[in-house]
Amino acid sequence: MKRRLLYGSFLLITIFLISFRITPAPAGDRLLTVLNPAISSKMVERVPLTERTGTLEGRTIYMIDLQWGGPEAAYSVYEEMQAWFSRNMPAVKTEIRRSSGGPFGDDAALRKEIVEKKAGGAIIGIGG
Amino acid sequence: MSAVSRFARNLELAGIPTVGASGVNVVKFKDYELLYSNGMPIRYVAFPFPIAGQPKSVHRNYVEGKDLLSGKPMMQAIIEALTKPLTEEEKKGGMPPAAAPEPRLLKPDTEDNLQRLFKEKEWTDFLPIVLPTEEKVAAMLKGTSRKPQEIVSRMGSREMTVEKAAIYAVMAGAKPEYFPTILAVLTQAPSFGNSTSSMANMIVVNGPIRKQLGMNSGTAVMSPFSEANSVIGRTFTIAGKIIGGLRLNDGAYSSLGNNLQFNNLCIAENEEELPEGWEPLSVELGYRRTDNVVSIGVGWSYISSVGEAQRSHPPHMLIRDYMRSLYGSAATVIMDPTVAKLLRDVHGFKTKSELSAWLANNVEVAVGTFWGNGVNATASTPMALQGLEPFATWLKLPPETLIKPFTNPRAIQIIVAGGKIQTTWFVTDFRLGRGIRIDDWK
Repeated sequence: MKRRLLYGSFLLITIFLISFRITPAPAGDRLLTVLNPAISSKMVERVPLTERTGTLEGRTIYMIDLQWGGPEAAYSVYEEMQAWFSRNMPAVKTEIRRSSGGPFGDDAALRKEIVEKKAGGAIIGIGG
Repeated sequence: MSAVSRFARNLELAGIPTVGASGVNVVKFKDYELLYSNGMPIRYVAFPFPIAGQPKSVHRNYVEGKDLLSGKPMMQAIIEALTKPLTEEEKKGGMPPAAAPEPRLLKPDTEDNLQRLFKEKEWTDFLPIVLPTEEKVAAMLKGTSRKPQEIVSRMGSREMTVEKAAIYAVMAGAKPEYFPTILAVLTQAPSFGNSTSSMANMIVVNGPIRKQLGMNSGTAVMSPFSEANSVIGRTFTIAGKIIGGLRLNDGAYSSLGNNLQFNNLCIAENEEELPEGWEPLSVELGYRRTDNVVSIGVGWSYISSVGEAQRSHPPHMLIRDYMRSLYGSAATVIMDPTVAKLLRDVHGFKTKSELSAWLANNVEVAVGTFWGNGVNATASTPMALQGLEPFATWLKLPPETLIKPFTNPRAIQIIVAGGKIQTTWFVTDFRLGRGIRIDDWK
């Protein structure tokens, strides 16, 4: 009798433990492994800026209009800059030029001119 | 790389100090360009926006006001950018330490947490997604013979593999049989309409695959009544956002945005209802009728005929009138088969090309209206200033002069779709591309 009780208790405990083990975790708690949608970007080689000479006195600054937003956008801002230089730094010469490549292209001839004239600097824009 | 940073980089390499000027709306891209496309720490100043269309007094205030990046007076910031000695950071060259690549698998988590993570990362369109488990992605990959690591499309240094495309297809709710069409569509994912001008895309499917996938080309073709139309269009959005790294105010910079981006106008042409002599779009583009082809384009908007065609002013005339509202250059007209039949049988347009040619020859707008459009002013003015015709002539004309802005009839595409329930049509400003063979991605 005692032995039968012991066996019965052992069986009940075993069934309890097994049922506890196989009961699935609630759906919300189950851990899922999913693939990562993100795409890696590859870094590019760093290139230093050119050295600055410390002054613009007597130099020419080119203001390059990429024509973003049309012909009356950056050009008009550059005219205001030109007026500012005339009032405040008259020793600095300014040239406003439109890039023939517009907002998506290049203007190699203009770049060549700027380099050949050893310009003191260039303002490029205005991106929008 | 933006035109500003490209131009500045080339001058810096030639020994000319530069400063990039940009609107505050897009200047934050300089950090991305430094790391991933330009490699040069271009010095920038940031102007308030907008610049175009503002009076001189506003531009003067911008110049006399503050640089929105440094907070210094604008002209001081410009002069310092051109004269101030380089920092140690700006002198650096060579390859930066490699950033850890994205892991293939995300850290295991609960469904709720993963759904939340996908939203936080803005990898979704904020509608519920199917989580891309390994089993589901593997099943999707069975829809193609292409290898998981093959490249579908590139955007700068970012490469979308077939496996990534399968992830996006699963997320959107696609079936494996959609996958070749989705892969063809995703070759164009980098052209997802992310423009300050608030662009969107259009996807048109031709060929027998339309029927095999159960795509809708008939009644309510442009509405959410077809699983294939919905899901294929949605996948383009998810993929376009992720390959572009587009997050709100961090890469995504459309001013208004565009509601069409939820589905990208994904439709199939109703080839079975084309009138005699009218060829499917794919055939017009040079493919065979048996080819499965998807054509993708960019544009902004569409205008409806709003109701039945009228005998007194037939469809081609009203389409012409409505096309005066478009920016010019390119258009796609989506018309019910009943309209196509009317145009062919009653008004004598024996082919789509004849209708396109008639529209190109009859749509006229005032040249002032043409140049008043910002896209035309930005994209066509440089050509005019270089002396390219007809833009050079158009730039000199008095504003009220009428011009024909659709100079290329082949850029006016006609799509026949719909359920023959009303003689209705839409005029759109979408410019469709050359078409991509779906069969190449099976």
